[in-house]
Amino acid sequence: MQTSTLLARNLTWYWRTNLAVLLGVATAAGVLGGALLVGDSVRASLRDLVLARLGNTEYVVSRNGFFREELANALGSACPIVAIDGMVAHESSGRRALHVQIYGVDQRFWKFQAEPGAAPSARQVLLSAALAHELGAQPGDSMLVRVEKPSAIPLESLHGRKEDVGKTIRLTLGGAAFREFSLEAQQGDIRAAYVPLARLQKELDQAGKANTILAGAGPPPDLKDLYTLEDLGIKLRALAKQHCLSLETDSAIIPDALTEQATATAQSLGLRAEPVLTYLANSIRANGREIPYSVVTALASPPGPAQPDGITLNQWAARELGAKSGDAVSLEYYVWKSDGRLHTETAAFHVTQVVPLEGAAADRDFAPEYPGITESNSLADWDPPFPLDLHRVRPIDEQYWKQYRTTPKAFIALARGRQIWGTRFGSLTSIRISPPSDVYGSFLRTALDPAQMGLVVMPVRARALEAAHGATDFGEYFVYFSFFLMVSALLLTGLFFKLGVEQRMREIGVLRALGFSLAKIRTLFLLEGAVLAIVGAVAGLAGALAYGEFILFGLRTWWVDAVGTRLLTLHPSTPSLATGALAGVVTGLAAIAWTLRGLGPVTPRGLLAGAQKPHSTKRPLLIGTVSAALALVLLALALLRKLDQTAGFFGAGTLLLIAALSFESAWLHARSFAFLRGLLSLSLRSAAYRPGRTMLCVAQIAFATFLIVSVDAFRASDSAGAGGFPLIAESVLPLIHDPNTATGREALNIPPLTGVQFVPFRLRPGDDASCLNLYQPRNPRILAPPAAFLRSAHFAFQESSSPAPNPWLLLESHPAGGAIPAIADANSMTYVLHLKLGEEFVLNHTRFRMVAALQDSLFQSELLISEKNFLRLFPDVEGYRFFLIDVSPQRAPDVTGVLEQALSDYGFDVQPAEARLASFHKVENTYLSTFRSLGALGLVLGTVGLAAILLRNVLERRRELALLRAVGYRAAHLTAMVLAENALLLLLGLATGTVCALLAIAPAVSLRGGHLPAVSLSLLLAAVLATGIAASLAATAAALRSPLLEALRSE
Amino acid sequence: MLDVSQIAKTYPTPRGPLPILSNVSFTLKRGDAAAIMGPSGAGKSTLLYILGGLEQPTSGTVTLDGRNPFTLSEKDLAAFRNQSIGFIFQDHCLLPQCSVIENVLVPTLVSEPRASASGPANRARDLLKQVGLSDRLDHRPAELSGGEKQRVALARALINKPLLLLCDEPTGNLDQTSADVVASLLLELHQRQETILVVVTHSAELAARFPLRYELRNANLHAAGA
Repeated sequence: MQTSTLLARNLTWYWRTNLAVLLGVATAAGVLGGALLVGDSVRASLRDLVLARLGNTEYVVSRNGFFREELANALGSACPIVAIDGMVAHESSGRRALHVQIYGVDQRFWKFQAEPGAAPSARQVLLSAALAHELGAQPGDSMLVRVEKPSAIPLESLHGRKEDVGKTIRLTLGGAAFREFSLEAQQGDIRAAYVPLARLQKELDQAGKANTILAGAGPPPDLKDLYTLEDLGIKLRALAKQHCLSLETDSAIIPDALTEQATATAQSLGLRAEPVLTYLANSIRANGREIPYSVVTALASPPGPAQPDGITLNQWAARELGAKSGDAVSLEYYVWKSDGRLHTETAAFHVTQVVPLEGAAADRDFAPEYPGITESNSLADWDPPFPLDLHRVRPIDEQYWKQYRTTPKAFIALARGRQIWGTRFGSLTSIRISPPSDVYGSFLRTALDPAQMGLVVMPVRARALEAAHGATDFGEYFVYFSFFLMVSALLLTGLFFKLGVEQRMREIGVLRALGFSLAKIRTLFLLEGAVLAIVGAVAGLAGALAYGEFILFGLRTWWVDAVGTRLLTLHPSTPSLATGALAGVVTGLAAIAWTLRGLGPVTPRGLLAGAQKPHSTKRPLLIGTVSAALALVLLALALLRKLDQTAGFFGAGTLLLIAALSFESAWLHARSFAFLRGLLSLSLRSAAYRPGRTMLCVAQIAFATFLIVSVDAFRASDSAGAGGFPLIAESVLPLIHDPNTATGREALNIPPLTGVQFVPFRLRPGDDASCLNLYQPRNPRILAPPAAFLRSAHFAFQESSSPAPNPWLLLESHPAGGAIPAIADANSMTYVLHLKLGEEFVLNHTRFRMVAALQDSLFQSELLISEKNFLRLFPDVEGYRFFLIDVSPQRAPDVTGVLEQALSDYGFDVQPAEARLASFHKVENTYLSTFRSLGALGLVLGTVGLAAILLRNVLERRRELALLRAVGYRAAHLTAMVLAENALLLLLGLATGTVCALLAIAPAVSLRGGHLPAVSLSLLLAAVLATGIAASLAATAAALRSPLLEALRSE
Repeated sequence: MLDVSQIAKTYPTPRGPLPILSNVSFTLKRGDAAAIMGPSGAGKSTLLYILGGLEQPTSGTVTLDGRNPFTLSEKDLAAFRNQSIGFIFQDHCLLPQCSVIENVLVPTLVSEPRASASGPANRARDLLKQVGLSDRLDHRPAELSGGEKQRVALARALINKPLLLLCDEPTGNLDQTSADVVASLLLELHQRQETILVVVTHSAELAARFPLRYELRNANLHAAGA
């Protein structure tokens, strides 16, 4: 005989109880391992998905503008494409899809991705399957593809063509694309259209150019030696007559960074760099006369004046104005300002010099090339993107144009010119490099950092893999969601083991009489428990796979709103399974060890006599009293507004739950049912006979009920969080004009809309930072509200870094260290970006510091920064693409229709703000449903435990029941007694949990107008009650079926 | 030698302390066999459990070969019971999950120092042979009659060669024939092993077979017939 033999005998003899314990551990280990597997599986599925969509793409070379597609040839395994955001409409049905990824591709794309099939022919378009389905398009159907027309000249500059921002291409649907392709990490359906590259290049006036290169595996492409100045939109024009080079750009504006580098390069070569800023003046006025539409150049050297307020006129202009040195001259000119309006401004000068039309003063190359102006043969032919009054043009002005074209009529000081005409895009139109140098271009190319000029190499595969770690750790979430299920399983484990120990009390007494010490007996039981826990945990591995698959099935079906994809599959991982199993062993053993606490206080003689652990009411009374007192303190603090109401009430509710359970425990321990009479009294005495068991049941049911009821408090309401704006809108193409002004509406072709106010936001597209995106946003969307909006103090804040009455204004603050102040929705900040207030998010070397968090707002997909900072950081991102629209709710549907119709060319999409909020809340509420469902599963486990206890109680009391029958009790009496006892446990648990939970969520329910899903909750709780009653009926029936009188005789 | 001196035991009740034993003293030496009689509730079992170190007296001392079990630590007390005392209960208290021989060997699992595996097993076989169960070694308790179970309990009580053998109504649940067999075996093995045997019983017939007889009346121990 060895201890192991005894162990084996115990394990097999009490196999029923042990099996129950084993299943309890297996359930706990399975649930934990399964929950962790869900996390692994979501991550792995996201990784698989994004890698499949990237295909062979490892790196992407891209630029905001276009570059030579030959650049791809130098990169080895690479493929040039045009990738652009756009919209696609099905011509016959009128159905349209916005924010479609439009790819201009040719056969090289198919070859690069090593896919069979062919590129679309010249008039064809291929659609991704999801997009074709969304549009109801069939092969052969006519499709309209509309994209933003690239403009080298910034739209928000005077010469930008603001009304001509898009281009529509009619194509025939050739079929579905070969497979899903996307450069973005997002789990939703791919909405993409594949257009012939050559056709798209032609339509966009970008023949032979691309804006994206896909590069395959290998070292990252080194552009340093491959790019040309042309790829960055830089031109070096040799001006023989002027004996210099003119550095210009496609945009006709030289960015400050380029100015700096171009000047430094010239200096390094001993060359002179002369900055030039040329502008168009609507009028030059002096002495009551004026010259319309004149080119004026700002120079830092002659013929530019030395004085800041000086102006040099050429002889022609001086003559026309009758001006001489010292006369006052004013310039009137247009300025396009960032508020979406064209302003007319005036600057005053005095004549410092009149120069003849010769030499530098006769240089028509100071002006850059402006489409619609510089190539015109006459002023009457001008087609500028701003208002022009041709009636003001005199024959003499036409003569000047014919003879001198863009030769400036006046020169001002460079510093003054930069001051009045400088924009965020730059403040020069060209730089003169003299003397001309053959090596200047190559030196400049070497000195420039292509990334600084917007030509960047992105390791998309590596970034996608990082993003696939996910914004949300689903493993963690489902561990939380499954927590009660695990606790229930562990409670059941402990309960069943406790039942087993109680069943063997006399055996323990014998062992003690035979010389087994208490420690030895505990060790023996712990060894038994360890074997059960280990075997249970191993069995839990299968359970983990099953539970993981169950949860993923749920995420693909019932809870798909939480993840937005049906592509999640189970990816078993050893670490998660091992963690689940190990945790199952440890927690199972802990639960078993906990149940062995009761062995000590009982004497060996007591054990031999079947006595139970002596009970004291002092401890539960003390715990109950302290918890109740703390609950009252929290309530008082919450009511006095010294504590957040939600937190205060929730804390109070939880404490009250503990207090209630403690008092109930004391009540049962005291067996104070003397005042009761009859069958009910007997039932209650039975419940009190094993108060530990009873309270375990009550506590399990009460906690489950508390969780299920209180979870509802976190269901979000769609009415709050819209900031009082009934509508929001987004456009695919940017709106440059301000729709709040009559001229802006006229330019946009919007009919007069009274009582409608727009708040236009600048938008830098990027990763969705809301719970709708499973991937970790590396490059979040950024919104910039106008300054006036910041002062209007719309929307509620959850917290801010300083106690400002209007936290929006913190966006205009200057945090120490130079970080950009940013605001995000509290949910996105916490759960998606994983940031706290004061922490920073780094994007392209720029630090964004979180200064405030919005409370459950519609801004969950983005970061918000001030418009000023936006324009500084992203000068190339033009116009407005996001709008809050204030209109009376009654008119909202009509206004929606009018705006979408009028702005259809912009891909303007209007939706109720509540719908946007609802889309976020749907995710949160789905999570809550998941939590509730898994909580309900825990409640089911609790009910199973209850049924097991009832059965055990009934079986243990067979002799008592037999005696009662012998003295005349009918079966119905016994059933009633057992039912009453069970109902007591169930009702006590349900009532305790419900009452405490209702108190805990009172403020949250009150905030939502008292709405509580009373019907569904009542049904759930009634189902638990019915299950418990059914279990007790089954237990009674089992007991009554057994030969009770035999039991009595054996007594 | 078992020396019981001035033992008293009272239980607290809502109506005040209830004396069960009062001023109980007696001495037994190796080879003595004593029966303690008395009506139900007289405190016979309480006295037996006090003698076995299972229950602490309210006052007084018990020493067995000079060792007072109630001065020992929990660990030493367990070892004391294991090595020096053998218990037989009214309802045998065999482990249903173990075979006959395993039940007999259960006390050896915690014996210090552990004997070799074969030593206790041989002794268990020998004891079972002496109680007439050598052909039932691998049977489970459920397969035995009441008398047989009690004989297994007797063998179990003697496995560690205890000095003191304590029996609580050893024949209380048995028919007359079985009771006679068990009583005979008990006395025979006691003589063979030279233990101090204390039996509590309300059976006058069983008590009559013991050379020393005591009676518990009104919490006091009296010599039988006195």
